[in-house]
Parts: sequence; C-alpha cells; structure tokens
Amino acid sequence: MTYRLTGAAWGLIVTAVLVTVPLSLRDRLPEPLATHWSDRPDNSAPFTAHLVITLLLWLLPWALLMGIALRGRALERRLGRGYWWGFLFAWGLFSIGVEVSTLYANLDRASWQEAELPGWTVLAVLGASAAAGVIAGALGRGEPDQAPPARERAPRLRLRPGQRSVWVSRLGNPWLLALTAISAVALVVTIAVGLVLGLPANVWASMAFAFLIAAVSGAMTGTISVRVTEDGVAVGFGPFGWPVRRIRLSAIDRAWSEPRYPSQVGGWGLRGVPGSATLMLRGGDCLVIRYKSGGQFVISIDDAERGASLINGLIEERVA
Amino acid sequence: MLLTLDLNDARPLHEQVAGAIRRAIGDGSYAPGDRLPPARDLADALGINANTVLRALRELRDEGLLEFRRGRGVSVARQAEGRALIVQRMRELLEEAERRGYRREDLIEILKELP
Repeated sequence: MTYRLTGAAWGLIVTAVLVTVPLSLRDRLPEPLATHWSDRPDNSAPFTAHLVITLLLWLLPWALLMGIALRGRALERRLGRGYWWGFLFAWGLFSIGVEVSTLYANLDRASWQEAELPGWTVLAVLGASAAAGVIAGALGRGEPDQAPPARERAPRLRLRPGQRSVWVSRLGNPWLLALTAISAVALVVTIAVGLVLGLPANVWASMAFAFLIAAVSGAMTGTISVRVTEDGVAVGFGPFGWPVRRIRLSAIDRAWSEPRYPSQVGGWGLRGVPGSATLMLRGGDCLVIRYKSGGQFVISIDDAERGASLINGLIEERVA
Repeated sequence: MLLTLDLNDARPLHEQVAGAIRRAIGDGSYAPGDRLPPARDLADALGINANTVLRALRELRDEGLLEFRRGRGVSVARQAEGRALIVQRMRELLEEAERRGYRREDLIEILKELP
C-alpha cells in the first residue's frame, strides 16, 4: 500500500514541478531552448517539444515502476524493494535536476546559442540523484528476507574431523571463446588497417574500442573456474582464473543446484544486477549461492550438486 | 571434482592426491571422456604444489585411469569403468591391510560383517 501511495504522490510532485516551473519561466526563456551541450550548445528544441519530452522521460519509467508495485513480484524481496525505491527517487530527482539546470542555462539568454551550462550543475544533478537513490533504497528496502521455505532439501556433505575437502570445477563455452577470438582478430585488423592506410583516428578508434570490449569481456566470461574450500567460494574469471570473486562462507545462507537457461536470465555472460547476478555460460545445471543478505549468485557449472553439498557442509561445520 | 584428503594420513602427498582423484572418479562425478580441471586449479584449492598434483595425475595415467592429450588436457580414460576402480581400490586396501598385519581372509571377514 505504501508503495502505491508514496509512488503516486512522488509522481504527482515531480510531474507538477516539471510542468509548473518551465511554464512560470516561459517569458524569460529563448525560443527554441538549448537542450544539449558538448562544449557549447549543440542542439535545441522548441519549448513545447522540450516540455513533452521531459515529461515522457519521467512518466514512462514512473509508470513502469507503478506497474511493478501494482502487480509485480519484485517487491517481495528486499533487494527488489531497495532497487525500486532507489530508482523511483533517483530518477525523479534526476528529471527535476536536468530540467532545472537546462532552464537555468537558458534563463534570460537572447538565443539558444548563448546558453551556457556550467559543468558543476551536471555533477550536482548526478551526485544528488545518485545520493537520493541510495538513501531511498536503504530506507525503503525494509527487513531482511525470511529464510526461504525448504522447498527442497539442500544437499549436504557430511564432513568428518581430520579430513579436508575441496571442490573444483571449470567450464568453458567454445562458442563464446570462438566469438572472443574473432573479436580479437577484428581488433588487430582494425588497428592495422587504420594505421597502414593512415585513416583519421575517429574512423577506426571507436570500432577498435568496441572490438576490444567484446574481446576482453568474452575472455573474462568464456571460461570460469569455481573453487570451494574452507576459506569460502572463489570464482575465477577467464582462462587464468583472474580476476577472482571471493565469497566468504559467513556471507552464504545456503547453496543448491538448479537448472537455469540463458532465456531465463537474459542471455549469456554475466547477467543481472549486483546482489542478484547470474554467470551464464550454458543452459543446464547451475550452482545457486544464496546470500544471507537476500541476494543470490547463480553460476552455470558442471557437477554443481557436489559443490553445493560441500558449501552447505562447510557452513554447518562453522556453526557447529 | 570433490577431493577429500585425510589430514592424518602418513602416505606421501602425491599418493593421497592420486587416491582422492581416484575416489572422485569412482563416485561418478566424472564419466569416461570427461576433462579434469587443470592441475593448477586442483593444487590451488588443496593448497599444495602443482608438481605434486601433476605427479599424482601421471601415476593415474600409468594406471590407465587417465589420458593425457596434447591441447585437451587431462581426461578420464574411456576404459576406466566401475570395476576397474573397485579393483584398484581393493588392491590398495589389501596393501594397507598387509602393512598393518591383516591377512586377506581377515579382510573378507570384515567385509562380511559390514552392514
């Protein structure tokens, strides 16, 4: 109930500001308005068009958030609530900030080419909305999630004293690795062609940059290795197992294995948001690590059930 | 691959590692033809030297349990079947028992008494 009420009230407040402030200042603004800056103003829009676009940029995401609040399941989890509140307030404040700084830059100018946008206003708008989002998310996320109902018994390895157990698994996706190799070749070819033919850098540099991103991200997520030891879980990215994401056992609630598919998580690679991420290299058996904070980390890996049973066994041993 | 080492085991480390890998394959976590994790990953997880793991892997290759293939790493040999593993483990058990003064008949008796 608070979601709908607060969301609706906040939506009305932001909309009212976005409508009344530009209208009340209309006499002091040039027509058209400067709406985009690089070094100097480089784009303009008529007053009405600007007003409509600004409103839509606020109202469409807001409508989406209200839709989630009305019927989505995202708010059942603490993480979902945090992101919902954070995004609601951050985006509202961001919309107001962009509008106010645009009006401020245009205020009392004879024409849009003279409008000046001081750099600090951009930083202030970004900083203030990000801070509002973090605060709203922290205040609105509520209590930690209850432990999930035991819909299945988590596998558990019985550890004996005097024994030391570790679990190691590694997975590579040949298709992702092939794409990575193609990107790397394309990167080299692009740079070579650009330099040999003496083309201007702006022609090939952005292409080379895109290939570089594809090659590096592909190399990082085309192969993964997972280790479970007494020190916790370590997920190594890439063929050399570096960088490593380490998860302390004390942060883990429990683990299990479950089939997941790229269609469920939005594709291959590292997917999702911090706190609820999936490392998807292939559909099928996945290791699901549930954090005590309520989030979870899903890793597509072979032999996941044994890994999960060792994690659960080690957690139990720590408690005992 | 789930590996378990006994901290009180007095045997050389490479033998213990070989035994742990043998058990892991016997448990069915790896089918014939499957690739093993790289020796470096296993060594890191166990906190031991990679050469010790490599020595264990070579022993298992000599036993016929593993295959080394250039460019494809180490994989479980196709002929490694359940019975071969059991025989291998029984041979170990027999050696262990004889070192401790038990005879073959004693072992059979113990086996029968087990629930």
